[in-house]
Amino acid sequence: MSSEVVLELKKVKMQFGGVVALNDVDLQVKKGEICALIGPNGAGKTTVFNVVTGVYVPTAGEILLNGKSLKGKNRHTVTKLGIARTFQNVRLFGEMTALENVITATDVHNKSGFVGSILNTPRSRREEKASKEKAHEILEFIGISHRSDQLAKNLPYGDQRRLEIARAMGTSPQILLLDEPAAGFNPSEKKALADLILKIRDKGFTVLLIEHDMSLIMGISDRVAVLDFGTKIADDLPSVVQNNPQVIEAYLGVPADAS
Amino acid sequence: MNFNLRDAGADFWAKSNKWQRYVIALLVIAGLFALPLLQNTFLNTPSTPFVSVLFFPMGIYVLMALGLNVVVGKSGLLDLGYVAFYAVGAYSAGILATHTSLNIWEILPIGIVAAMFSGLILGAAVLRLRGDYLAIVTLGFGEIIRITALNSSSIGGAMGITNIPNPPTTFGLKFDLDNPQNYYWTILVMIIITVLLIRGLAIRRPGRAWESIRQDEDVAELMGVNTYKYKLWAFVFGAAVGGSAGVLFASKSMFISPNIFTYNVSILILAFVVFGGMGNIWGVIAGAMILSYVPERIRFISEARYLIFGLLLVIMMNLRPDGMLPRKKREKIGEVKGAQSE
Repeated sequence: MSSEVVLELKKVKMQFGGVVALNDVDLQVKKGEICALIGPNGAGKTTVFNVVTGVYVPTAGEILLNGKSLKGKNRHTVTKLGIARTFQNVRLFGEMTALENVITATDVHNKSGFVGSILNTPRSRREEKASKEKAHEILEFIGISHRSDQLAKNLPYGDQRRLEIARAMGTSPQILLLDEPAAGFNPSEKKALADLILKIRDKGFTVLLIEHDMSLIMGISDRVAVLDFGTKIADDLPSVVQNNPQVIEAYLGVPADAS
Repeated sequence: MNFNLRDAGADFWAKSNKWQRYVIALLVIAGLFALPLLQNTFLNTPSTPFVSVLFFPMGIYVLMALGLNVVVGKSGLLDLGYVAFYAVGAYSAGILATHTSLNIWEILPIGIVAAMFSGLILGAAVLRLRGDYLAIVTLGFGEIIRITALNSSSIGGAMGITNIPNPPTTFGLKFDLDNPQNYYWTILVMIIITVLLIRGLAIRRPGRAWESIRQDEDVAELMGVNTYKYKLWAFVFGAAVGGSAGVLFASKSMFISPNIFTYNVSILILAFVVFGGMGNIWGVIAGAMILSYVPERIRFISEARYLIFGLLLVIMMNLRPDGMLPRKKREKIGEVKGAQSE
């Protein structure tokens, strides 16, 4: 594992009126690692994703991708630069097939747009073909290639979640943000998902993961960052974080005799 | 109601090989070109010559419905002012044909560009809005164009523009009142070209972009779709189609005035799209053909024909709320043939 930092948050602050959702959060995600972001409900985990992908403009602070600031970039430009995400509640393009969902994402790096398509230029044809092949490859890799031609809305829940990951991978991201990919999974599905995430990492992707399932997190993460009320309270190896009293307190509350 | 015309048609098409498809397409196109032959059958329209009805309203409205379908059906942008682009095309033709020596074929591309330009200006200004807000602003834009024409005496004001020349004789085809079939064939060629262009776009990147925008604009943006750019393209493409219809209409009717381009036309075209099945070009074509033909066929009952028209809409929307031929919602079985090799 190299120590190159892919994504860096510097003193990021996100304020909604009087509510401070993120308070000077620093975070570094290194190339090729699986970094987990945990915390109790409402701690600001998804807000981190929204700030990073450009959905929200941070009140203060800076976000760097490969050392370059993402300030003022459009959401689709951020995706093109290399940040892709999934959603906590599945948000696929339901009326498109699984394959089309992924191709739509691969389009981000294609050069020919409307004019190329209407003239059916050689470049457009080449890119269409390449995109389709790449989408097939990704579905194969994720293990849902048998679903390629089914409408996304008709897929079983688990496959929908996997398709979300496939679609995000379609944009060839530098870093993949997974928002609770195992939500609603049973233990054996969680195990399969953990294997999948490791496989994605081994393919060279960097992963930033939000998850609630501790055994999943502790099993696959290289590093765990803990948020509580918008503040980062820990950032270390899983085994260290697990025994951090502040983290235990955030999750379980303060023991009655101590207060 | 197990039989489903759309699926039956799509299955039939999917099972056919390349040559069968060419033969089917050629037969359909030949049949459409031969439609003027039906003028003395029961299809004949009582008070207007049947062949003229084939051009206007049928041909013109089919073309406009196809253009609006890209905006409303494919991209999910509710445009209630589509008549504006039709008017821009018609006025471009009216002004240029009466003030310059250009003939209609030379004016056609200019009219299309003028309509595209107006689409670009409108789109750039309003496409940051969504849903209802977009609908209201486009409705306003349609009225602005009409009222501007109404109050500009240099382009005829309420009197409109008269004596717009017919197209010159081309390939031995005379374009005058005695030969309405030539106008019909012209608009048919334009419709076929438009269908081919839309099909080409729909299976490629713009089609996916529009589809994703229609379904979830925020997610589309996060998946790297430049939603603003593709919405603008949808608008501009729709405007180009509307403008081309306007040019040809002006030249055939030889007279245009602002009261032809009221918002009723926008609503009517939208009704065709919804009636036929939003997003499905075959449904939209069929919807526009039927709904523009029926009032002409029953013109003998005079004003009561609008009652029939309304009844038809109500019954249809109850029986098939998604339109006659709804957009593809079926699962594709096996490999999709031809999609990329075309």
